[in-house]
Amino acid sequence: MLRLGALLSGLVFSTWVGAASFEARIVQANGAPLADAVLSLSGGPAVVGSRKATAIMDQRAQKYLPHVLAVATGTSVSFPNNDNIRHQVYSFSPAKRFELRLYEGTPSQPELFDKPGVVVLGCNIHDWMLGYIYVTEDPWFAVSDEQGRVRFDQLPAGHYQVSLWHPRSADAQVQQTGKLDMTTTDMTQRYTLTVEATADDAVQEPATSPFSEAFKKAAGEAAQ
Amino acid sequence: MKLRNSFQARIACVLILLLLVVVGALTVAVKVATNDAVRAQAREQLQVGTRVFERLLDMRGRRLRDGVQLLAADFGFRDAVSSGDSATIHSALQNQGARIGATDMFVLGMDGRVLASTVDQVPTGSVFRYDTALRELRRSNQSVLFVPLQGLPHLLVEAPVLAPLPIARVVMGFSMDVALARELNSLTNLQVSFLSSEAGRAGELVSTQPAELAASIAQWMQINESAAQRISLSEHEERTYLSQPLLLASSGGAEGGRVMALLQSPLDEAMRPFMALDRNIFGIALAALLASLVGALLLARSVSLPLQSLARAAGRIGHGDYQTDVPLDRTDELGVLAQAIGRMQAGIAEREQRLAHNALHDALTGLPNRALAMERLGSAIAADRPIALLSIGIDNLRELSESGGPTFVDKLLQQVAQTLLELVRPGDTVAHLATDEFLLLLENVDSDSAVAVADKLQQVLLQPHRFGGHDVAIDCRIGIAAFPADGLSAEELLARSAIAMRDAADMPGRLQVYQHGRDLAHQRQVRLIRDLRRAAANNELSLHYQPKLDLRDKQVRQAEALLRWQHPQLGNVSPGEFIELAERTGSIQTLTRWVIEEGIRQLSEWNARGLVVQLSLNISADDLLGADLHERVLRLLDLYGIAAEQLIFEITESAIMREPEKALKVLNSLRDSGISLSVDDFGTGYSSLAHLKRLPVQELKIDQSFVRNLDETSEDAVIVRSTIEMSHNLGLKVVAEGVEYEHSLRLLERWNCDTAQGYLISRPLTAAAFEAWMQPPLPTSTAVVH
Repeated sequence: MLRLGALLSGLVFSTWVGAASFEARIVQANGAPLADAVLSLSGGPAVVGSRKATAIMDQRAQKYLPHVLAVATGTSVSFPNNDNIRHQVYSFSPAKRFELRLYEGTPSQPELFDKPGVVVLGCNIHDWMLGYIYVTEDPWFAVSDEQGRVRFDQLPAGHYQVSLWHPRSADAQVQQTGKLDMTTTDMTQRYTLTVEATADDAVQEPATSPFSEAFKKAAGEAAQ
Repeated sequence: MKLRNSFQARIACVLILLLLVVVGALTVAVKVATNDAVRAQAREQLQVGTRVFERLLDMRGRRLRDGVQLLAADFGFRDAVSSGDSATIHSALQNQGARIGATDMFVLGMDGRVLASTVDQVPTGSVFRYDTALRELRRSNQSVLFVPLQGLPHLLVEAPVLAPLPIARVVMGFSMDVALARELNSLTNLQVSFLSSEAGRAGELVSTQPAELAASIAQWMQINESAAQRISLSEHEERTYLSQPLLLASSGGAEGGRVMALLQSPLDEAMRPFMALDRNIFGIALAALLASLVGALLLARSVSLPLQSLARAAGRIGHGDYQTDVPLDRTDELGVLAQAIGRMQAGIAEREQRLAHNALHDALTGLPNRALAMERLGSAIAADRPIALLSIGIDNLRELSESGGPTFVDKLLQQVAQTLLELVRPGDTVAHLATDEFLLLLENVDSDSAVAVADKLQQVLLQPHRFGGHDVAIDCRIGIAAFPADGLSAEELLARSAIAMRDAADMPGRLQVYQHGRDLAHQRQVRLIRDLRRAAANNELSLHYQPKLDLRDKQVRQAEALLRWQHPQLGNVSPGEFIELAERTGSIQTLTRWVIEEGIRQLSEWNARGLVVQLSLNISADDLLGADLHERVLRLLDLYGIAAEQLIFEITESAIMREPEKALKVLNSLRDSGISLSVDDFGTGYSSLAHLKRLPVQELKIDQSFVRNLDETSEDAVIVRSTIEMSHNLGLKVVAEGVEYEHSLRLLERWNCDTAQGYLISRPLTAAAFEAWMQPPLPTSTAVVH
């Protein structure tokens, strides 16, 4: 919720019709809570105010942190490297193609994500490092926590379109999940999102032992 | 020698056959064993090779996949692929493929559509044919896919293009070419072939095998497609392989793309080292065959040569050579056989000598026998040496035997033999021919000298001496024949000396030198003796009747039946000749039997015609002593109805004297039945009147030798006259036979002789003539005189 709070702190609402909290619980088909799902709401009362914002995609222990980062269009995201090794962050996603050459520490310039869409982040030298930046134009969005919860504390009453996305959602597409009629009373809604169990070609961090490597190498050389 | 050859051949044949069997069995066993071993080895090699092959392919696949993955991870390549620009992708693909030596390269979208391809047949935008198979491969975590591609088998390796999520897949194909096959061949030591087929159509064969086998191998692989994974034998162009077909990939369905591998272990090559073994075995067999042939011949020879030598020895022994040793210096069975033959030879020699001795010598005296004597005689004749034969017959051996017994006689004969040996010169021969007969051969001696020797022998033997508890004097007669005077052959000489000896029996001094002609007489005798037995049966006998004149009333009331023999070839045989022979040879009984029956029959015939005479029949000693004389005569008398009184039996003194007691008994019974008895030839024997007195005889017949030349002054007259008187005193009638002269008859009349018989009265007449002679009414004395 800290994260969410930080995200919303930059929003300035032009009109205050009245608001209430909205909490969504996102589960998988089997009922298990689904973390790292992005829930965004479009429609509703217009939101005014500067959309300029920044976000941080941290790299710790050769992982992107957070795994899924949802940002509004036009957000600048900085990629501080908190590992003691270098990373080469890149994306071939149409929403944002970029490459950060091998670097340490925090690059001087953050990257601007000005097109909505899913940007898949990789590291050229650590194939298993995978991160997602969900760039959206929707005014309301959040990433579910470990319990699959998304919470908006002051969601103005109105009619919203609900979109759901998850890195493992079918075809990695955004799911339009329906409408939300928000009143001034607190609401709790449950969404079910079907995700693929695990990606076929997800790259795993190699768990090798030096001996087996050496043996395989030797065997290969012998075979040659 | 045929036997030897066949014997050798047989041994050789057996040995060689055995050897052939052994070698054949050995060869087969070795062949089978090596075949099995080679196949087992080949199979093992094939199995090991197959595992190695599979492992190698897998490893190669992994390496290729790793390579492809490395390429796919190249940032620039990923960048190019993610750009979506087909031309860029294509060029990047070619670049990457060239790096690792791939022949065919594709980029597939995540949906399986071809994004870029270096193969014209696989256009961009089409769905990749092996996409499903590749997904399957990925799912089963295998590294490599075997597919037919453009008629050739290919390895397909796939790697995802990560950006960093998979955005595409790179597929690279590696042609399974000859180089790969060679490499695998060098590692597995197996012949490697690959064949792909698409929609049932086979592609080009990739093989390490020579090109000429390709067609055959490809065909075989297709045929055995379904039998994949099973090891079997295959033959290509007359080369044999143990083959392991492997189905590397089979995407069923209509397309039916298949990739097959064939691993082959050449049996011929594996068998090649054993060809030398085969040749060796053949060589050994040949050598053994030759060796056994030589061995068999030598063995057969080592047996057959001694056998031949033994056969020769046996043949020699068969021909009577017992002196030569049987030469075989061996210790084996043949040696034993040779020794046995040697012993047999010695035994035969010894026994033959004994047999020869026995054959040529008399068992009792040890003197040469007839055969040896003849041989010696023969050799003397052959050498033209004068030699004299003395046949010695011992007359009184029977008496000596009766008094001393057979053992005594044997001893006595031995003593005689000894005596004879002592009396002759050393060069002379004393032989023992028969029990009572010895033969002396006196070398260089003529008849006259022989007589002297014979006389000396007689004298010595006749000397009474004490032997074996008996007083013995040996009475012998000796016949002499001499070579060359009396004959020129041994047989002849022996026969003649024997004849002389027989003649000697009748000679004073009982010594006779052979007289010429005697042997003819002897031949005649033999013939007569022989024919005499059949004379009666052949009707050659007849009876003649000589009237007997009663001197008192000059009447003829009696006749003597005299036997006549008309021999078919020799004519009339005189009774004096054949009766004596018959008596000597034991056929007298047959004659007498005939005489008695014929006489009685004739009497009955005459009786029927009114001629009644008393008939005298001569009875021999044998008849008298025979069992049934009396009964037979009575039966005949009864049969012909003749009174016993019409018969007179004339019996010689000697006949009675032989066994007086028995004779007396028979005579008594004959007399009792009414037959008159007469003593024939009285005066020639030794019978005493006192003895005569005991006999139941009625008359005496004075022997004609006393009567024939009877006159008053002769000694015969005294004998005749005194005999007549004496007989009359004893109550016997007297018949004088052989009366030939008138004055003899007068004398007999004067001396009161009862009856006269002789030529003066009548010669013996046939039955008819006698009847006629008797017919005139009472012949007068005048008639007699004429």
